[in-house]
This record gives sequence, C-alpha cells and structure tokens, in this order.
Amino acid sequence: MVQIPSGAHPGPVYDKMTVTSMTTELTTEINMRCDLEGRIIVITSGKGGVGKTTATASIGAALALEGKRVVVVDMDIGLRNLDVVMGLENRIIFNIVDAVKGKCKLRQASVKDRRIDNLYLIPASQSDNKDVLNPREMTDFSGELRKEFDYVLMDCPAGIERGFENSVAAADEAIVICAPEVSSVRDADRIIGLLYSRSITPKLVVNRIVPEMVERGDMLNHLDVVDVLSIELIGLVPMDDQVVVSTNTGTPLVLQKKSPAGEAFCRIARRIDGMTDLPIEVPRTDQRLWKKIAGKFGFGK
Amino acid sequence: MFNDFFKKMMGGKGDNSRDVAKKRLKFALIYDKLEVSDDTLNNLHRDIVEVISRYFEIDQEAFKLDIRRSDELSALIVNTPILSAKHRNGRADV
Repeated sequence: MVQIPSGAHPGPVYDKMTVTSMTTELTTEINMRCDLEGRIIVITSGKGGVGKTTATASIGAALALEGKRVVVVDMDIGLRNLDVVMGLENRIIFNIVDAVKGKCKLRQASVKDRRIDNLYLIPASQSDNKDVLNPREMTDFSGELRKEFDYVLMDCPAGIERGFENSVAAADEAIVICAPEVSSVRDADRIIGLLYSRSITPKLVVNRIVPEMVERGDMLNHLDVVDVLSIELIGLVPMDDQVVVSTNTGTPLVLQKKSPAGEAFCRIARRIDGMTDLPIEVPRTDQRLWKKIAGKFGFGK
Repeated sequence: MFNDFFKKMMGGKGDNSRDVAKKRLKFALIYDKLEVSDDTLNNLHRDIVEVISRYFEIDQEAFKLDIRRSDELSALIVNTPILSAKHRNGRADV
C-alpha cells in the first residue's frame, strides 16, 4: 500500500492512488471468484415431448467431452426419465430431493457416468411429487452445485407450475427447446415470457427439423420460428432416428457415430462454452438426387 | 428448390401448410397476449376512477370498463357519467 505521508502536505494525490489500487485488487478478486463458480442453465420448453431430456443429456455429455465438469439434474420429480435416457437407471441410490433436503451429500446423489469422464447425473425422485421442493430450497442448494461443477444443466419438466419454478429458481441462463410446430412454438412463447419476467434472456434450439418437409413447404423453417419468438438462436437439430436408438440402449447420442442430431448438440455445447462464432448449420436433405435415383431403381430403403 | 419454382409457375400462389401454420401461430400469440386477468382489470378500474375523480365528480356506481375485441383490433372502453367538473386552479393535487 502507498503510505500517506504525515506532516505538512498530506496531498490528495496520494489518497487517490491508495483508493484506486485498492479497488483494482478488489475487482480482480471478484472476477476470479466468478470464474470458479459454475453456470446453471435450465433447459425448458413448456410443451412436453419436444426433446428436452434428449437435449439435456446430449449437451451435458458434449460439454463433459470438452473437459468440463458437468452435472445434469432431472427436475421432473415423479416422472423421472433422464436416468434411462443416459443409461444410468441401475445405479441410482439417492436423488435430488434427498440432496436438497440434506438427507445425503451432493456427491452421494451424483451418479457418475462411466463412459464419459466428468459427467454426473442427479436423478429425480420417483415417489414424490413436485411440491416437495420449493424455489427457495433450490436457490439455497444451488451454491453447492456451482462450487462442485462448471456446468449445471437443469432438465425442466413440461408445464409452468411448481416443477418449472423449481428448475428456474437458481438458473443463470436458459435454453428453450422448440419443435417447428404450432403448438410447440406457442408454448415456447409463453415460457420465454415467464423467463424474461425472471430477468433471464433465453436462447433457442429448434429441434426435430425434417429438412424434406421444410423444403416441401410443409413445416415451419427455423427462420419462421425465430421470427415469431424473436430470441437468439443457438442451434438447429434435425430429426434423427439415432435418438430413438440411443435411448433404446441408454448410450449417449453424442458418442453415436454419424448421428446428425448428436453432432448438432455437440456444436450447441461448444457455442455455450464460448465458441460463439461457430456457424449454425441448417439441416438439409443431402444426396437427395442420389436417393431419388436409387429409389427409382429399387435400391435404397 | 426446383419444385418450389415449378409450383409457383404452375399454380400461382397456393398457401402451403407452412404458411398456414405461421399465420395461425401469429394470430394465436396475439390473442394469447390480449388476455387480461380479472385482477388486472379490477386494478385498472380502481386507478382510472381515482384519476378521473381528481378532475370530475363522477357516478362511481355507473362507471364501466370494458375490453372489446374485433378481428382487427382491441379497444378499451371506459364509460362514465359526469356529475360535475371540479373547479380548481391548475392541476389537482394528489
């Protein structure tokens, strides 16, 4: 520290220097702390069945493959599914309710994925209902999650009731998953409004795009969806049979070779993790001509 | 691409299901946002009566507040009988 000289000229110049050097030290310390704290991202959609759980599992796995410490939290209490999608259903001992209520330690509730390092799951409880938790408890619990992990992905249940409130309570960011259908877009719009009212600016993933239908003019394209919802786009995911296959077997979609949806989720994860200039690829029908010709001659499927 | 081109050449405009979807969606969202809860309406009622009462003596019982919707637009309709004007200098103090 700069010493303030005693005596004739205590000089305001010295005072100023002391103050500025102290503030810089303070701000750097705060910045470092922020870097250590994990980000909590809620993955939500309003409507059910648009791919929240698949998205959570895949983005989580992709972030872990990037070397981050990731936990995915199943907030669908009473109707848990993230565990089976990830193939971890046989290893559950404790769940999110136990962890939040202090019946077990955070580490005990976190099921480690054996295929992907640094990937953990906190399953939902299957016997309770959504009202066993409240937003306040979730906010209190979030401090522990932030300390332990770089990324916390909350798999939000469908609906706008308590399950949604609990999932959003501690979130810093939100990703809205939306399928290019009227009902899904309408519900997404409602969810976006609710997120804004909580000062969260969500980002959009358009999921389940069928390029053939878009090109035929029988499906909203991603520009239509962005136009209606007017939020920032963070990724486009094509409809992909591999999603069903990987859910059947409980293997991570992002480890599946040649899965267009898996690749799209990997790119979304990279964008979340700071590669904001990674271009967003629009799903297209490829080798359309060849398929058609093959079809004409009786080859292909 | 070519299909679209040919379709346009052959059959004029012809809305495809995507255009229909987008139109319906936009209208649905507009209508969703126009929905006003009873609480909001009651609060608005109270506030408007308060503001008007600063300037006019009104029949508070007969005061009516209504939202009327048509295809094109929605209107807020306020209807109140005025009993007398309050004569004060400048703006009424609160």
